[in-house]
Amino acid sequence: MNRKVIYLILLFFFAYVKALAQDNVYFQQTEVGFLWGKGLKNWEGGYENRLNLTFSTFHGAKINPNHVLGFSTGLDQYDQINLIPIALGWRGFLGKEGKPRLFAGLDLGGGAAFLEKKETTDWSSSWYEGGMMVSPTAGVKFPAKRGKWALSTSIGYKRQQASFLQGFFDRSGLSSFATPGISRLPNGFSSLNETNYLFHSLVFRMGVMF
Amino acid sequence: MKRSKLFLAAFLLISGIFFSCEDQVTTTYTYRTMLPVFLEMSDVRARMIAVEPAQPLDNPGKIYIYKDFLFVNEPTKGIHILDNSNPSNPINLSFIPIEGNVDLAINSDILYADNYVDLLAFDISKISNIKLVKRVEDVFMHMYRHETGQIITFKDTVITTESPRWETMGWLARSDMSFTANMAAASQSYGTGGSMARFTLMDGHLYAVDETTMRVFDVQIAAEPKFVKPIDLGWGIETIFPFQKKLFIGSNRGMHIYDASTPHSPTRMAVYEHVVACDPVVVNEEHAFVTLRSGNFCVNNINELQVIDIKNPYEPKLKKAYPMLNPHGLGLAGDFLYVTEGRHGLKSFNVKDIMNIDKNQLEFLQSMKSVDLIPGPKSLIVIGPDGICQYDYSTPSKLKKLSCIQVTNPVIIS
Repeated sequence: MNRKVIYLILLFFFAYVKALAQDNVYFQQTEVGFLWGKGLKNWEGGYENRLNLTFSTFHGAKINPNHVLGFSTGLDQYDQINLIPIALGWRGFLGKEGKPRLFAGLDLGGGAAFLEKKETTDWSSSWYEGGMMVSPTAGVKFPAKRGKWALSTSIGYKRQQASFLQGFFDRSGLSSFATPGISRLPNGFSSLNETNYLFHSLVFRMGVMF
Repeated sequence: MKRSKLFLAAFLLISGIFFSCEDQVTTTYTYRTMLPVFLEMSDVRARMIAVEPAQPLDNPGKIYIYKDFLFVNEPTKGIHILDNSNPSNPINLSFIPIEGNVDLAINSDILYADNYVDLLAFDISKISNIKLVKRVEDVFMHMYRHETGQIITFKDTVITTESPRWETMGWLARSDMSFTANMAAASQSYGTGGSMARFTLMDGHLYAVDETTMRVFDVQIAAEPKFVKPIDLGWGIETIFPFQKKLFIGSNRGMHIYDASTPHSPTRMAVYEHVVACDPVVVNEEHAFVTLRSGNFCVNNINELQVIDIKNPYEPKLKKAYPMLNPHGLGLAGDFLYVTEGRHGLKSFNVKDIMNIDKNQLEFLQSMKSVDLIPGPKSLIVIGPDGICQYDYSTPSKLKKLSCIQVTNPVIIS
């Protein structure tokens, strides 16, 4: 994703949260937990499971007593990469106010690989790119005795794409503009190794809502 | 209660999706390489060459001025013909499709062009009715592969595979190496080319140099070119410049001077060796001007203009070297020298006093990014990222832009 677009979304997001915080319509959910996934097949044919940290914070507006729309961000760790998810989200609640309520959520967006540094040598460059993310969740909200606070616990699924790219610089000195298919290579590279990951994770998280 | 069942169903669905899945990894490998292409010369020869209507200039190579026309090579594809009677408004006339063509030369209304291993001669006396009059077969033999009549040429291409490189076979596995090894056959134009034939005409003879060899053709009867003989030159030959019965051959090791007073059998007079760099050469009666440039293949980090005394062609002597920024092609028109400085622009000098060229810089046009130029009878033709531009240089110290021919893929200056 284009960085400018992301910054714009974030700016809009915080402006929006600030505006909502004045009102009763503001809703937030902040949780930490772990991502658990069946990893890659190893040489023995078994799976290396992965278990990593996830942090998520959702901020939104109540469009009616049972539905919230907003944005979410946070941090998702994988064995290979750390990603910052940026997504549009929905939360829906069932049950009576003041009692434990069931809720469901859906976040749709992308994971950005801001935290990964691009490494460049004289010959090559390697970097990570984030990708599409979708995450449905379900959970229970336990309201506090006093105030608007509530504890939450949720379980969900997260589908995340990401890529690792390694390119070698074109040292031929030959111009490449007439080369068929050159658009498939980034400018100035003669080769590109692209490893695309698709992570399927089970998400367990706990946190607070208000 | 109903609702909680719904939630349970949703929960089961989510876990169902999850447990059937494991992480997936796919790898693609995309690389630029020179794909070998095998051709039967008999097939190539069997194809009719018919002049086509004007084509847009895509990636022009050599430019040749003949009468009021510009002949512009499209490497490996053919030759564009433009009417340049008015340099302010050149008109694209037609295109001769010639496979494997990289160079051309024109002598008495006969156009010579290479067609892979063959040399073709076209009658261009009527520009609207160009005819192929002669094919000299099997002269650029370096492309032949064994004795099968099959030639090997290379196509610059980008390949995407899902197999990691070490699993692919043979040459693919070493694509970077094959790329470097085959770059000689690549379709690029100025200065960096390897096996590209470079043509020049002098005294009724056509000289074609490739990376190692000069081939001599007798063209005294223009429509009947006859292959005379090959002459070994050594390695890394890049340019050829004829002047007063001498041939000045620029290689990336230095400059060769050949005596061509016996035109069918030029003999070596001297080799002026200097550092390895990319060096176009221009010459007048007393001096040779050579540019040395650092670039990708021109390994040494030297950017200069050298003036070499050639009054005694058997003993060329360096008179003076002037530092430059990144000089590419150059052109000499009388006492005026024009040097293209790549992305830095274009410089003009008065070179009457060769010991003080730097003090006689006339113009440094930094906006005119350029890689090569040809001082033509009507205009100075400059090749750069804007395409093929023509300048009025009747006042040598003040260039005036006349026109630019749009090029789909102009040179990119690194």
